[in-house]
Amino acid sequence: MAQISTTDLRAGMKVEVENQPYTVVSNEFVKPGKGQSFNRVRIKHLMNGRVIERTFKSGEKLDEADVEETLMRMLYREADGIIFMDDKSFEQHKIPMENLGDAVNWLKDDLVFDVVFYKGNPVTVEPPTFIELKITETAPGDRGNTASGRVLKPAVVETGAKIQVPIFIEEGETVKVDTRTGEYVSRVN
Amino acid sequence: MIPKLDILRDRGTMLSRSRQFFVDRSVLEVDCPILSASASVDAHIDLIPATPIDGKRFLHSSPEYSMKRLLSSGIGDIFQLSHVFRNGESGSKHNPEFTMAEWYRVGFTFPEIIEETIDYCRLFLGDLPSESITYRQAFLKYAGIDYLGISEIELLKFLERKEITVYPEIAKEGKEALLNLVLGLIIEPHLGKHSLCALTHYPASQAALAKALRIHDEDVAERFEIYHQGVELANGYHELCDATEQRFRLIEANKMRLQMGKEELPIDENFLTALENGLPECCGVAVGFDRLMMLRHKTSQIADVIPFVWSNA
Repeated sequence: MAQISTTDLRAGMKVEVENQPYTVVSNEFVKPGKGQSFNRVRIKHLMNGRVIERTFKSGEKLDEADVEETLMRMLYREADGIIFMDDKSFEQHKIPMENLGDAVNWLKDDLVFDVVFYKGNPVTVEPPTFIELKITETAPGDRGNTASGRVLKPAVVETGAKIQVPIFIEEGETVKVDTRTGEYVSRVN
Repeated sequence: MIPKLDILRDRGTMLSRSRQFFVDRSVLEVDCPILSASASVDAHIDLIPATPIDGKRFLHSSPEYSMKRLLSSGIGDIFQLSHVFRNGESGSKHNPEFTMAEWYRVGFTFPEIIEETIDYCRLFLGDLPSESITYRQAFLKYAGIDYLGISEIELLKFLERKEITVYPEIAKEGKEALLNLVLGLIIEPHLGKHSLCALTHYPASQAALAKALRIHDEDVAERFEIYHQGVELANGYHELCDATEQRFRLIEANKMRLQMGKEELPIDENFLTALENGLPECCGVAVGFDRLMMLRHKTSQIADVIPFVWSNA
């Protein structure tokens, strides 16, 4: 496996620590006085997102994680997974439903996802931050409970996700959604 | 932050004002060689070798040995403002080639050199108050441990409680390495928050080229560092004049280098001969010019205050 010295470690690089894949968040070279130098490295777990801090001897070598990041376009869905296509190589991959995480809420044909492969297996599938989706189901605006001061109402979008939209949004309209929070951003005309 | 060119103009001004600072105090400028056949021997400072046609040389990590040769020949108070080199030291606060102001004062006491170093820092940072804390006090105050009595196991447990994960080989490197981690990660950030803080009286085992002495139950070195906002700015000593003790320390440093799998460095016999001939009682200090420029311009990146950083030089 390829190795990288703590001296060359930069934010964004993928390393393997204790057999787990991490993204480097920051790397600080520390050398108090005439003492030993060491590197204080913050790393974020590729799958669960937990950020931890580790201290390494300067010049110590870390294993690079076998990680590949690819932009993949969603082609169609099958019963047990989604077929994606690598936008550059046109290679097709089936990603099982259980590997999709929260992206399962935002599956739309032709949308380009950021897919991370670890040891050849897809581990994270990130939709674009903002996507435009059609409202397939929501109660008419005039029946919104304005008396209690609520200005939002539940709605279902074309991908099946349930979101909250302002009461003036009607079925069939298209809205912009922030996929990180699942929140309504604006109406798309 | 102001544009880079303006910082570089200010840098030029501060180089001039530094020289003026020393001229005003009748300290003579010297320009000792940057390349030499022998070298400063430090366990944890690695040199950049050079290969001229007639044999191996080293870029100096400090002009200390050469300057002490001049001191021993009776030159008097001297300073050198030059680039120095440390292999592999790259980071937001480190560049393998950096600028250092180093000076020696014959007959100065330890408190006097600390005061003068703080005055030099004020040239860059304005009229900041100064304070002083010993290495031992700092460990008690900011980490709650007495470095002298604490065992390696207790230090490891302490780091674990602070959620600092150590690298596995640190056990082999001993107590010094653990204390070094505590200093770098826990204590340094507290030093000189609103002042210029002198950290003084290091353990004798970290004396380097400073005089060692015993105070009560503690063997200490008359060595100090200056910190502002947690950034280390200077390292100074009441200089060791004893040639025998100096030779012993150089050999010990080389032994440590070998243990760590590093190359042994040639001992500078000219330097030791100078000590044998008599180094006058003196104090000296080396100040990181670029670090002062970083604090002056409120940047955390050394790249912002030097013309071209290592990766782009």
